[in-house]
Amino acid sequence: MPKSSSDLLHGTVAVLILKALSWGPLHGYDISRTIRQRSEGALGLEDAALYQALHRLERKGWVAAEWGLSENNRRAKFYQLTDEGRRQLQSEVTSWRAYVEAVSKVLETA
Amino acid sequence: MRPVPGRRLFRFPWRTAAQVAADVDEELQFHLDMVARELVEDGWPAEAARVEALRRFGDLEGTKKFCCALDREKETQMKWMQSLEALGQDLRYAGRQLWKSPGFTLIVLLTLTLAVGASTAIFSVVDGVLLRPLPFPEADRLATVLPTSGEGNWNAFSWLNYVDLRDQTRALSGVAAYSGGSINLASVGGEPERLVGIYATSNLFPVLKVQPLIGRFYTPDEDRRGGPRLAVLSEELWERRFGRDPGLLGRAVSLNDEPFTVVGVLAREDQYPATGDVWIPFALTSENLEARGSVFFGALGRLAPGVSFEAAQTEVKGIGDRLAQQYPESNARLTIGMVPLREWMVGDFRTPLLVLLGAVLFVLLIAAVNVANLLLVRAAAREGEVAVRTALGAGRGRIVRQLLTESLVLALLGGAAGVWLAVWLTKGLVALAPLKTSRLEGVGVDSSVLLFALGITLLTGLLFGLAPALQASRTDLNGVLKEGARGSRGRAATRARSGLVVVEVALAVMLLAGAGLLLRSFDRLQSVELGFEPEGVLTFRVALPEAKYDEEEKLRAFTDGLMARLEQMPGVTAAGAMVYGLPMAPTGNVFSFSIEGRPPAPPGQSPILRVGSVTPGALRALKMRVARGRGFTAGDRPGAPQVVLINEAAVREFFPGEDPLGQRILLGWNVDGVQRGGEVVGVLADFKQDTLGGEVEPQLFLPFAQAPLRSLAVTVRTESDPAALAAEARARVLELDPSLPVYSLLTMEEMVAASASQPKFYLLLLGGFAAIAVVLAAVGIYGVIAYGVRQRTQEIGIRMALGASRDRVLRMVVRQGLTLALLGAAAGLAGALFATRGMRSLLYQVSATDPAIYVAVAVVLVAVAGFASWLPARRAAGTDPQLALRGEV
Repeated sequence: MPKSSSDLLHGTVAVLILKALSWGPLHGYDISRTIRQRSEGALGLEDAALYQALHRLERKGWVAAEWGLSENNRRAKFYQLTDEGRRQLQSEVTSWRAYVEAVSKVLETA
Repeated sequence: MRPVPGRRLFRFPWRTAAQVAADVDEELQFHLDMVARELVEDGWPAEAARVEALRRFGDLEGTKKFCCALDREKETQMKWMQSLEALGQDLRYAGRQLWKSPGFTLIVLLTLTLAVGASTAIFSVVDGVLLRPLPFPEADRLATVLPTSGEGNWNAFSWLNYVDLRDQTRALSGVAAYSGGSINLASVGGEPERLVGIYATSNLFPVLKVQPLIGRFYTPDEDRRGGPRLAVLSEELWERRFGRDPGLLGRAVSLNDEPFTVVGVLAREDQYPATGDVWIPFALTSENLEARGSVFFGALGRLAPGVSFEAAQTEVKGIGDRLAQQYPESNARLTIGMVPLREWMVGDFRTPLLVLLGAVLFVLLIAAVNVANLLLVRAAAREGEVAVRTALGAGRGRIVRQLLTESLVLALLGGAAGVWLAVWLTKGLVALAPLKTSRLEGVGVDSSVLLFALGITLLTGLLFGLAPALQASRTDLNGVLKEGARGSRGRAATRARSGLVVVEVALAVMLLAGAGLLLRSFDRLQSVELGFEPEGVLTFRVALPEAKYDEEEKLRAFTDGLMARLEQMPGVTAAGAMVYGLPMAPTGNVFSFSIEGRPPAPPGQSPILRVGSVTPGALRALKMRVARGRGFTAGDRPGAPQVVLINEAAVREFFPGEDPLGQRILLGWNVDGVQRGGEVVGVLADFKQDTLGGEVEPQLFLPFAQAPLRSLAVTVRTESDPAALAAEARARVLELDPSLPVYSLLTMEEMVAASASQPKFYLLLLGGFAAIAVVLAAVGIYGVIAYGVRQRTQEIGIRMALGASRDRVLRMVVRQGLTLALLGAAAGLAGALFATRGMRSLLYQVSATDPAIYVAVAVVLVAVAGFASWLPARRAAGTDPQLALRGEV
């Protein structure tokens, strides 16, 4: 497990959030839990960085926010992907795969 | 884990900065609480869990700030986007509405295009001539300095007075003197050419702060008696005659048969005091420099830094007063005044251009009122639509905005088309305008004109859009929805429309009154007693240069020879020459004089009159009438007794109740020690001198043979078409002297027409505006009455069913239209009494409150209004009561 979120590449935070939201609307706490669970605890995101990234994505129009009720009946801000966010996710996933593939090739041949 | 959808809004109401911060706080607090709860579930004590959650979060305060900043940005952006979206919606809707009623849209657009186009075109001329700054640096510091004899009456400087002013003034950093003249440019391959020469002191250019296009200007050292012959050419002459050849600098050109070295070229826009061809050192030419009473210079001064115009005015006046005391014999009545240069240059055009601008803005106003009326009618027809939209939740603001958007779309479309029209109209105006000012050259549709067009477009759009929009938005929902499509508040709406029509008629009456006054004035000008017969007369000018014609005998020989040759031409009945005094060609050659046997006038108060020199043939050619005594004959030669002719105005002023014949008039004009003047042998009937509208001033003629001068105006009377004679007349001059340019070749009728061209131009424009105004007003009346008739179809049906006759219905409806017209006409005539005051200076022998014009205007307007209401009245009278009662009409 990386020491802190600063170890995650900047753009990576965004793509992880977008991916987490691709299954449906979530509030910030759920997003952080989802990422932790899906990575089986390997990827932990500092909360501050998560919320800053969320608001940045909202400003860009990739996610839209809406107030709703959480499972314990509290007001919570739910985020969901916009059409543009969905497109962005696709293109980032593609370029991420290409990047990983390239790096792997180098590492394998070494 | 699924979110439970909360209240879902189309849109959050706009949040304040505090609300944004609260939202961020709440979101982050929720997160912290959730983490703490998870920790408690894992067995942490509550307080420790809270602290641990905070620790895990990281930089809480920084995150809050960061998020708030982003959210506020987002909020602002959303606000803009929503406004844009609403605007887009409004625009699309407006487009659909206008497209649905093409007839209405077309009429409105045409009206606006015409009105905005005409207004913009006139404004572009006003802007170019009156408002645009002069091309010279710090031009607002320049002023014309001249002797004056009362308000708006300007005279010229004598050299000595000018020099004293120049040397004594401190308030002006420089004063330049200049005088105009004509110069013959000898042929370079082509025909000899007549140039406008300007004799200017060397400091003219530094005072103007202009630089030469190429080369240099002459210096103070070079501007002296017997100095080198130097010339500065205008850019236009340099281009036309020398193909912009820079090699011309340092070369000589022949002016008045003498070589002048070209030292520089003056750029087109820097010309002063007039559009000239060549600038020549002042001292070179000047005769009569020593006489303080010999006045022919203009002067231009530049205010010294930090000195106000008023201070300079006071100083200059003081210098003039001192000069008057110092030299009472010539300066007794000297007062020196100052006028800002721009006012000096555009003064003559201010009143007419402002009158035209005012008139065209009236047209614009009428157009706006008319469109407002059309929109009111439409708004009434759309009450149903508005009611439905209100019922569906549209707020009043939203509906007003929608209707205003429609108005503005109309205004902007009309405005754009208007600007396009204005580009063409402006070109036409510049081409046709008989305004003799170089400032017309720069007139065009530029950024300030576009700004004006945009301004008036938006203003009219708001003006005609606001009333209908507000009215429509006040729609009473229940009333309309119950009554169906028929308007619910017919009365208030009708009153509003009637009010607008009254305004419209009033404005049209004012315009029509102005046009009527100009028409009557123009008619007076046309039927003015000329005092000569222009039909069949050709005129042209020839100037005999001093270098070649240096003796009076040579001047006489040339003139006699030319007259003989001209009179031999077939069809020619008389030919003559005049120097100063050709009618319709302003040349003020004024001299002081005394009458023999009378006590001398007090110093500086000698009477003055215009003096010219004519051959006997000139009086015959122009058919000037000799009222008493005789005209000139071939016998009035040098050696014979000196004789003069005077006009009736001179008799009235200087010989009241006396017989002028036989009296001797002596002019303050000495040639070789001999005083010019002589015995009065005849009195000429008054003839119009400079202009058709001007007062006839005292005039004296000397026989040319006894007082030959250089600048000849030749007049030739023929039995055939005088214009056909032009080429041959020119050939006759060149036979005698091939180096002489013949210029100003015109028929006398053309000169008379040119003298009336300015009033004619103003009349045509103002008349055009008035015609448009009347048509618009008629359309307005028609619209209101026709709409009223449609609204009242049932009522009219009932009246007819109850026995009202067709005539009665007809009269009732027409009376409504006439009532509006009469109200408007009364208001308009009252307004015209005030408004036409501004055009007094444009009128000739017509009072600005001429009752006949006012009555005629009122009659015309009421007749037009009667016709405009008769059309719908006829339809009303044709109503079938049965159909009307069943509501099927």
